[in-house]
Parts: sequence; C-alpha cells; structure tokens
Amino acid sequence: MNKEPLLKVENLSVTFFTPRGTVTAVREASFEISRGEVLGIVGESGCGKSTTAFAVMGYLPTTAETGGSISFEGKDISSLSKEDLRELRGNRIAMVYQDPTTSLNPSMKVGIQVQEVISEHLNLDQTAIDEKVVELFESVGLADADQMGDRYPHELSGGMQQRVMIAMALACDPDLLIMDEPTTGLDVTTEATILDLVASLKERVNAGILYVTHNLGVIARVADRVAVMYAGQTVEQSNVNDLFASPRHPYTSGLLSCVPKPPGTGEVSSRLKRIPGFVYSSQEANVSSCLFAERCPIADSECTTSVPALEFIGQDSQVRCFHSDKVEPDTWGGVEERISRKDVASPIVLTGNEITHQYGKRRKKYMAFGPDIDLPVRALNKIDFEIPQGKTLGIVGESGSGKSTLARAVVGLIKAQDGLLQLHGNELDKTVENRSNEDKSAIQMVFQNPTASLNPKLKIKKTLIRSLMRFSKLTKQGSEERAAALMEEVGLDPSYLERLPSELSGGEQQRVAIAGAFATNPEIVVADEAVSALDVSVQAQVLSLLEDRQQELGNSYLFITHDLGVVRYVSDDIMVVYAGHIAEYGPSEAVLSSPSHPYTEALLSAAPIPDPSAKPNPLRLEGAVPTMREEFPGCFFASRCPRKLGSVCDTEAPPVQKASANENHVINCHIPVKDLEIIQA
Amino acid sequence: MGLDRHPVERYAVWIKNAVRGDLGMAARGGATINSMVKSRLPNSALLAAVAFLIAVPTSLLAGVLAGIRPDTKLDRILSIGSLLAISIPEFIIGVILMMVFATKLGWFPSSSILLPGETILGTPKILVLPTLTITGALFAYILRMARANVIEVMESNYVRTAILKGLSMRKVVFKHVLPNAMIPTITVIANNVGWMFGGIIVVEFVFAYPGIGSLLIMAIDTRDMRLLQSTALVIAAIYAFANLAADLLYGLLNPRVRVGQ
Ligand SMILES: Nc1ncnc2c1ncn2[C@@H]1O[C@H](COP(=O)(O)OP(=O)(O)OP(=O)(O)O)[C@@H](O)[C@H]1O
Ligand code: SF4
Ligand code: SF4
Ligand SMILES: [Mg+2]
Repeated sequence: MNKEPLLKVENLSVTFFTPRGTVTAVREASFEISRGEVLGIVGESGCGKSTTAFAVMGYLPTTAETGGSISFEGKDISSLSKEDLRELRGNRIAMVYQDPTTSLNPSMKVGIQVQEVISEHLNLDQTAIDEKVVELFESVGLADADQMGDRYPHELSGGMQQRVMIAMALACDPDLLIMDEPTTGLDVTTEATILDLVASLKERVNAGILYVTHNLGVIARVADRVAVMYAGQTVEQSNVNDLFASPRHPYTSGLLSCVPKPPGTGEVSSRLKRIPGFVYSSQEANVSSCLFAERCPIADSECTTSVPALEFIGQDSQVRCFHSDKVEPDTWGGVEERISRKDVASPIVLTGNEITHQYGKRRKKYMAFGPDIDLPVRALNKIDFEIPQGKTLGIVGESGSGKSTLARAVVGLIKAQDGLLQLHGNELDKTVENRSNEDKSAIQMVFQNPTASLNPKLKIKKTLIRSLMRFSKLTKQGSEERAAALMEEVGLDPSYLERLPSELSGGEQQRVAIAGAFATNPEIVVADEAVSALDVSVQAQVLSLLEDRQQELGNSYLFITHDLGVVRYVSDDIMVVYAGHIAEYGPSEAVLSSPSHPYTEALLSAAPIPDPSAKPNPLRLEGAVPTMREEFPGCFFASRCPRKLGSVCDTEAPPVQKASANENHVINCHIPVKDLEIIQA
Repeated sequence: MGLDRHPVERYAVWIKNAVRGDLGMAARGGATINSMVKSRLPNSALLAAVAFLIAVPTSLLAGVLAGIRPDTKLDRILSIGSLLAISIPEFIIGVILMMVFATKLGWFPSSSILLPGETILGTPKILVLPTLTITGALFAYILRMARANVIEVMESNYVRTAILKGLSMRKVVFKHVLPNAMIPTITVIANNVGWMFGGIIVVEFVFAYPGIGSLLIMAIDTRDMRLLQSTALVIAAIYAFANLAADLLYGLLNPRVRVGQ
C-alpha cells in the first residue's frame, strides 16, 4: 500500500484578490486519492469545496494566489506548462459540474461537444470517433444513443444533460474524475438515477473520483472515504463508515446531527440539533485559533489561543481538533424530546375543496379557427385538503408537480379557477386583493429565496414596521417595539433592524422573512421551500425556529418541500402531489410507510439516506413530470408509473382508496391497497 | 391633382395606386415620385452598403479583441473611444469631419451634390465623408455590443467546460465563444437597422447627399405631402424588410429558435 497516490493535495491554500478585499477561500486543505477510490468532499456553502476542485484542474482566476502543493502522479500541477496542463485536462483529469444546463454549449449539438474532447486528445479517425460517442452515450444510460448526438442541449432534460456531461468526462478514460455537486439542482428522482450511474462507474472505470457535495445523504451513497471541509480547511478525513458511525471532529458530528432523519416509519421523537452561528467567513489569512471555536460546544481556552493541526488518529483517519477524543453523541446536547401531537384533536382552520387551476388560455391556430394550439396547462386538479389548528400539512412532489401553484392559490397570489377555500368555515376570496385585512393577516407566506422577498433598498426595520402598521393597528412607537421583539423571537439581535438585507447572510434573511410573516399573528403560514436554499446547519436552525413559533403561538403550516427527510420531520399530515393530482394523502407516518402510492414509493426509494450502510432501493423513475395539457381519461401517473397495472391505468381514472384502517389515509391508484402492501414488503 | 376631393378619398386613391406601384407625381418639378425614388434609392443603398461593409467586420473584430482580454490597454482605448463616438450625434461628427477634411484640408468635397450627368461611382470622393460619419457611429456601437457579449460568453460555464476539456484558446474562442457571442450581437445590430436609417437620413441631410433621406427632408421643406408619404412608405418598407431579415438570420444562427418544436 505504499504506492504513490494518484492525487495528493498538501496544505493547499487559495486566496482571491478582489476589489473589495482579499478572500481566503481555501487555507489548509490536505487529502489524497488513489485509483478506484471515491473521495467525497463535504462541507457547507462557502467552505472552499469548489475552489479546491478547480485548483486541482489548474483553473483559477488570475487574481488568485495559491500555496501548498497539488501533485498528480507525483507531478506538481502548478509547475506544468500551459501545454502540459491542456494535455491533462479533459484527458487524464476530467470534470463534471453542477448545473449541466449552463455547462453545455447551447448552440452546439451534444454529439459534437463530446467528439471535441476525443479528437483533441486521442488519435482516432472520424468513424472510430463516431462509434466511440455512441458507445459513451450508451454507457451512461442514454436511450437512443445513436440519435442523441444530433440533439441540442435544450432538447434534453436536466438528467439527460448531466449524463451527456458524464459521457464527455469519461471520453478519454480519465485517471481522475472530479464531480462538483453533479446532482444539486436536479429532482430527487433524477438525482437517484445519476447517483446509480456514479456508483456503477466505481466498478467500471479504474479512476480515482473526487466527489464534491454539501449533501451528506449523497456522500453516504457514493463515497469510500470522506474529507470534511470547514472554512477552507479539511477538518476530518476517514472512511465513510467510520465517519458516519463515530465522527471525531465536533463539526462533523454537528453536521450529522443537523440532518433530519431519513424518511421512514415512526414519528420523529427528538428535536433536531443545531449548530449555532454561521460558517466562519474567510477574510483573514492568518488566524491564531481553531476556526470552529466560535461555534464549537467543547471549545476551551486552548482552542482560542492556538491552531490545531490535521493529525492522524488512526491508520486511515485524520482530524484537526485538540479534543477529538471528547466528541460524543451528545456533544451537541442530549436528546430533546418532542411532544407528540399525533392524538391531539384540533379544530380545522383552513379547508380547500376541489382547488383547480390552469395556466394560460386555449388558443386556436388561426385566430378563431383551426386546431387547438397552446392548450392551458392543468396545474392543479381538484385538490382537497384540511389543515388543523397548530398542525402542519406537508406537501411533496417533484418540480413541476404543482406544489407552488397550490401555495400561491392559498395565499391568493394567483386566482384559482375553481374550488372553494374556507377559513374557519367562512369562504375566503380567491385573490389576496379582495380579502379583508383579517383574512390577509391570517395567511402569510415565506418564500424559498429570502433575498427576493425582502426589499433590498429598505432597512429591515422599515420592512417589518410597514407590515406591522398595516395589519395590527399599532402606533409607530408600538410597532418599533414589536419589531424589536419579533427579531428576538427569531433569534436575531435587534441591532439587525438597522441593516439592509444585503448585509445579512441567507439564513439571517430567512429569519427576517419569518419574522415578517409572524408580524401579523397569522393562523396559517405557507412555507414554499423555505429551507431548501439553506445549509444543513442553518436549515436546522430555521426548522427549529418554525417549530418553536408553532408551539408558542399555535399556528399551522402549509409546508412545501422536495426533501422527504424535512417533510417527515415537520409534518403531521402529508399530501403527495403529482402533475396537479393528489397521489396520496394522510397522516405523515401512514403516508411514509407501506402501503404507499407507487409515486410515493418511487420518491421514497430515490431519497438519499445519510447512512452508508443503507441498501439503496432500486425502484427508479425516469424522465420528468409531464406538463398536463390534454384531458386524460386514465391515471395521471400512467406515463411513468413503475408499477403500472395495464390498460386500465390508461383508460380509467384511479379510484380513491382508503388505505388500511386509517380513515384519513387515501391512495389514488387502481392497485388494491392489499396488493400494494404485498409488493412493497 | 384632385385637391378638390376629400382628403380621405385622396388618401385612399393614393394607397390604391401605391399598391399598384405608382406613387404619383411630385408637387413640383414635374417628375414622377417613382422616378425620384428610383434614382435616389440606389444612392442610399450604396452609402449604407459601403458603410456596413467597412463598419461591421472591423468593429466585430475590434469588439472581439477587446472582449477576449478585457482591461488591457487595447480594450481601454477602444472602449473609451467608442463611448466618445456614441455620445456625439452624427450631425456633429459630420460637421467636424466636414470642417477638417473639406474646409481645412480640402481633400474631399464638403457637399455631395451631383451635377447633372454625374454619378456617384464616377465621383467616389463624395462618398468618403458621409461613409466615414456613418461608419464612426456604427463602428462604436457594434464594437460595444460585440465586446459586451464576448465578455459575457467568456464568463459562461460552457466556456469553462471547453477550456477544461483541454482545448487550445484558439479553439475555445472560435468554436465556443464567437458563435454564441455573435448571435445576440447580430440580432441587436439587425434589430437596430431602423435606428441606423435615422443616422443615414441625418448624414444625407448634412452632406446634401442625393439619397432617399434627403428626399424625405426635401419633401418636408417643400410641404409636398404626397412625396413625404411616399418616401416614408419606402423607408418603412425597407425597415420592415430589414427586421424580417434580422429575425430570419437569428433563427438561422440560434438552434433554440430554429427547431420546429
Ligand atoms: N473568483 C472568486 N473571487 C473571489 N472570491 C471567490 C471566488 N470564488 C470563490 N470565492 C469565495 O471563496 C469562498 C469559497 O468558495 P467555494 O465556491 O469554493 O465554496 P463551496 O464550498 O464550493 O461552496 P458551495 O457549497 O456554495 O458551492 C467563498 O467565500 C466564495 O465567495
Ligand atoms: S479544536 Fe477546540 S474549538 Fe476546534 S473543533 Fe476542536 S474542540 Fe472545537
Ligand atoms: S393507477 Fe396504474 S398507473 Fe396509476 S399509480 Fe396506480 S398502477 Fe400506477
Ligand atoms: Mg461549490
């Protein structure tokens, strides 16, 4: 085993010189990769993961200064000439990026884009190249491999585009494959198929793989060894099983306990743990303490006065911490029990009946004549729901399934074409403009992107006071006091009131948005992917904040997310939607355990589980949610259903079946509930 | 001339004839408008074509050179120069050129009036100053467009992909940067053909160049409604045609539009 490693990174540092000052993105990163091994790099946003990956490619802006060394097969990358570097790139070291849509040239056929790498680096004639491209497309699981090359990127779905990128990276049989968040931004179902492909590459290619992600579930699925990065340093490194079973660095242990439990059976009985504060912002190059000290629960005076080094603590594991022997399961606090709400009966606050919405109008080809073109998109189709007081209804589904349309219809941002919304049994007007002030303040919304929902030119104070004065009849003085109180309630110092949104981090902005939503004492808060853009540590903080608010104020949530772990953690009831239809609806435990609707089953088996010993469920969905335009007599899921019964699914709408003994749990499928239970066992 | 008839009726008659290709008689001089347009349209076309042929390739090239390596000396000079050229209206550039090259140096005639029997091709000197004026504005404008688009594309993720494929910089620029940077540049140029016509009309006026633009000005001067309507019609038709050509060109360049879906 004393072979030279394929890639050896030692004490890498990268500093960017920008007009606004220097940013030290990477300060002490060290790791090795051998052939046939997948090294996962994990850490929160801004920890320097991507910068490290691009440094290995020798691709950093000219304003960057690097230190330390990166050696590939014993040769230092930084000492290579331009020509040698070109010979390496795409050939010996290849990369797959986040966001395949923008990483492919939009005006060039994908076949040519793959050909280009081959003809640059290999000495093949045109027929051999053409054959190789088709072979590559086949090997990454693209259907119609021989036609694929003639397509332009915009004709492919996100998952197919990423497969093309992977084919391109594999084209010259690279020795090192770098993947930077290749599934971030894709739907869970697509992510699962791409992860299957990456996992299969491990066996097929004799390359080392550097896999960068912020998602611990993904790391558990693909990595053999893991390097954890914090503020530009590798703080822990070990094999994936040890890392998940007994993390040795407080940050690793904290990250692991921040992640909501994977979707599974049973109520989540303990609260999420939180890492306080935010990622150390990489401004100063020289520090004289542990960078994690501010957030670390076991920091002592040694930690604030001297700098820990990355040290071996086992044959294959390293950690950068003075007190790694003191890291235990309760480092981040003991188990906090949650109060079970399962059997608490509560009155219904909000009901929706047959909410239906279509985007766009029907148009004829020649003004008033000819065939229909541009049929309206049927975004919501007769959706029924109820939200009890003090409880949470979670809504899950892939992108394009109608989740946000439902949220907007409830808040009145769009006028649903049909259906009835009732607040405490009284009809709610469909648009927010026509609602009374009481109704408006009763239903508030928190959006995914906090930056977009706060006015960038207004101080936080102005934003909060505006909505307070509008809805609560407070005086200027009174609302100022209330604003300060709201800030404290969401865990922010009232001095933040004087700041502009741009002076806050993403997590802080989301807290302000939540403070704003609670300014009116709402009964329902609609949260549309409110934690999706946040790092796990901040996500845990925000989820916990939402939980506290609910416990104190007794409000309800309509909680939309694509993350099944999160939905399991927050929801009392869950609605699974697909193409504007309810697939399954019921108490969350019942929905997440068998029997399930085939769509729920597929979502569950796609969700990455933050546990390396978990056996991945092989059930997969290809493609994406279809845009429903035509009236379709059969089942809404028929085009993708992995358990499709037969022609009945194409010709008859599925019946609403009451699942199990639970009266409130419904599954819309032709397969009898008993059979579902058997096939899913 | 039918001045006794109702204006609406006269307009209807004019349209009816215009559709047949007969624009009627000018109010003075006794020539048909058709013959006036016919003699002047080629002159304008010549001016526009020469200006375009000089300005488009050179400015695209300069814009690309500036955009590929922004913030170099070359880029600064081109950027500042073009900003100046854009902020000065054509008639001022024209007058300045006229003062320097015609009045002071006497190299070129200050007006482009043709004597009877002369043609432009026979006296190419009269083309120089008008062309230069139009070229100046066009050059600056196209250069800035091309530069901005090249810079944007250079920063795109797909150019990063191309570089990290190990392609040479030459291939990256020719295969990945230029096609994508030229799509929006050409589109914007084409969609602004109308704006450039405005420039040509002004320049023709300044130099008394015998084109369709000065015909329009002449119609205004002499209050010849019919001539005015007719020249406006011709200019509008050219404008519409140019825009159509621009859209077709865009479709040809951009696969996202080309596909019949
Ligand atoms: N070209 C650049 N100029 C200046 N600062 C930069 C540049 N690229 C990255 N940074 C900064 O370097 C730090 C590390 O960024 P990097 O993209 O490597 O993080 P990351 O771990 O990949 O984060 P994410 O999970 O969000 O992708 C951040 O503070 C970032 O703002
Ligand atoms: S060195 Fe100290 S502050 Fe740093 S992680 Fe270890 S215990 Fe925490
Ligand atoms: S009705 Fe048929 S197509 Fe629809 S979910 Fe059930 S099995 Fe699948
Ligand atoms: Mg990154």
